[in-house]
Amino acid sequence: MRKLIYLALVAASTFALVQSCKKSNTDDSTKAASSFDRKGLLTNVSANIIIPAYTAYQTSVVNLDAAIIAFNAAPDAAKLATVQTTFKTAYLQWQSTSEFEFGPAASVSLRVNTNTYPASVDQINANVAAGTYNPSLLANLAAKGLPALDYLLFGTGADNTAILAMYTTDVNAAKRKTYIAALSTELKTNINTVVTAWASYKATFISADGTDVASSIGQLINQLVYDYEILKNFEIGVPAGVQSQGAALPQKVQAYYSKISVQLAIAHIQAIQNLYLGKSSVGDGLGLDDYLVQANAKSSNGTSLNDNIKAQFAAALAKLQTLSDPLSTNITTNQTAVTSAYTELQKLTVMLKTDMTSSLGILITYGDNDGD
Amino acid sequence: MKKTLCALSFAAAVLVITAGCKKNNDTTEPTFNYDVPATYNFSNANFADATTRLGMATEIGNLTKLATSGPIDGPKIKAMLTNTGAPFTTAVYNTSGIQLNDQFAPAFKTDVLKFIDSLVAVSATGKVASRNVAGVGSATANAATKYALTGLGLNYAQVINKGLMGGFVTYQEATIMGNIASYDNNTVVNGSTAMEHAWDMAFGYWGVPIDFPTNKTGVKFWGSYTSQVDAGYHANTILMNAFLKGRAAISAKDTKTVAAQVAIILDAFDKLGAAGALQEVQEAKADISDNIVRNSRMSEMYGFVYGIKYNPKRTLTDAQHTNLLSLFPANLYDLTLTQLNALRDAVAAPYGFDAVKDLL
Repeated sequence: MRKLIYLALVAASTFALVQSCKKSNTDDSTKAASSFDRKGLLTNVSANIIIPAYTAYQTSVVNLDAAIIAFNAAPDAAKLATVQTTFKTAYLQWQSTSEFEFGPAASVSLRVNTNTYPASVDQINANVAAGTYNPSLLANLAAKGLPALDYLLFGTGADNTAILAMYTTDVNAAKRKTYIAALSTELKTNINTVVTAWASYKATFISADGTDVASSIGQLINQLVYDYEILKNFEIGVPAGVQSQGAALPQKVQAYYSKISVQLAIAHIQAIQNLYLGKSSVGDGLGLDDYLVQANAKSSNGTSLNDNIKAQFAAALAKLQTLSDPLSTNITTNQTAVTSAYTELQKLTVMLKTDMTSSLGILITYGDNDGD
Repeated sequence: MKKTLCALSFAAAVLVITAGCKKNNDTTEPTFNYDVPATYNFSNANFADATTRLGMATEIGNLTKLATSGPIDGPKIKAMLTNTGAPFTTAVYNTSGIQLNDQFAPAFKTDVLKFIDSLVAVSATGKVASRNVAGVGSATANAATKYALTGLGLNYAQVINKGLMGGFVTYQEATIMGNIASYDNNTVVNGSTAMEHAWDMAFGYWGVPIDFPTNKTGVKFWGSYTSQVDAGYHANTILMNAFLKGRAAISAKDTKTVAAQVAIILDAFDKLGAAGALQEVQEAKADISDNIVRNSRMSEMYGFVYGIKYNPKRTLTDAQHTNLLSLFPANLYDLTLTQLNALRDAVAAPYGFDAVKDLL
């Protein structure tokens, strides 16, 4: 597949070269692509998108951790509600944070340590009962992070009165309090490490401005596409049954217990779109869209690839906006709506993963497994 | 398809070899002038027995996969090893008069029986796999994807499969290549010399079509894995080139070129064990949060790493190999990311794969 992409690239650039001969303008697309200000893109993305996302998530996790400490000291309904609110804010912010799994985030495996779902209720309960857990065991990935807190804060009882009892009168109340405190501490430790490391990594990131597999553009695009596939597959596709011959698996949605799955998916696709556009609170800076335009990238039918990607982002977002929380219920009552959202998301995958990468000469380095 | 581009440049590079055209001193270097073809289409090539044995090994693999749906027939699998009692679905294998077992590395002959026993036991528990419980587990993302794991998380179907690659194929490559000079290259029997035929068998065991890597139809065992690791280690071209050049050189009695290709092939099969293991690290990471899938991937890695010991031409010392195995946790359910990365680094370093360890 990787060689195929190369081949497609060679073919595409040759084609573009031939095309450009028709115009008096002698600039060919390869030359145009190579003259693109990649350093400018990396500067914009790191300063205005990545670092602000990390610090905003860090703040949200610090608030969550503080709310849990306050709740544990004297659990009551008001403090439970505060914990739940801070949790939702942190989960929402995570959606804009998960796409940068390279450099500092990759070295602490931030993504899987933060957001492995569906949570394993059995493993969580075993850890609570044991009064201890080893955060570095991969077997504990599904028993920690935001999904475990999702269960512990929203799923341990039918309503908040019942949930509160799990932290006050239940036989394991003290151990459960210890466990949620340990989980939020681990979240905080991980993001602190990443934020600290980015202070020096930023210069490294900006200076690696080539297009090879180790370059920042290469890593950024790989992780953008990878994260997008997580959204498509695990937030929508798998629960909607696309990998289980149509049998819906609604309990596998992200944020199953706090019931904010659709809200999170929308925030997630918007974050990926913003990264693609280079868009942030300071405005629309250099992004992959500009890079594709400069490379004169076309879809197979000859139309602008960037225009098609932007239109498909809009189409996929519109489909997600027709869904409603709780997504698990939506899947049960109207599975077709969810699978049709998946179909729109899948169309964008092809554009990002195949067309964009081949136009820019970027190799996708994560593999589809061989099915053994 | 993956390698089309490489295949083209490779074809272009394969030209007439003219050795010793230049007289540099008084010693008379023999002069050779022969064509190296672009595909393994030597008119007298014959590796049918190798193809048959790979087919037998594939049937064993197919039978081991049934361990996810109930008790499997251990005696039958063992009978397949020795081709006893017409055990194969493909009838011609049964009457071929050849077997797998006598081609195995000595240590693998006994190991494989234990592996089979372990898999048979797991297949019979009727339990759902979990930590310390042998049975069948499903992938989180797809319940239809199942693996039979021991209580320690080992998927013996994979250990057997990767064991066959190490204890049978690599062992054969290393043995044939290591002894190639001792084969007769003058007397023609059934159209080819003993040396030509031995070389053909080595090519056949690789498990690729004669116009590989342009064509990848029906690749088996290492033939499949050389493509899977090709992004980081270009074994497809390295091996195809060497097999073609060496075979042409044998027919032309160009012993010096033959020896050079032997060295390349031995080196490649030594490295492939590590490359395969590193590829599984990537696959384990792709399913890192799924205990069942991850354990199965780690079992593949374990099979590759364990299988290195069957290669009589391995560069790794016994102590290094023992050390590598010791880096696996006693129970795969207890794996940490730190351990996985340490395993990756330890496998990559002795083979010079540091720079590509995350690409394979």
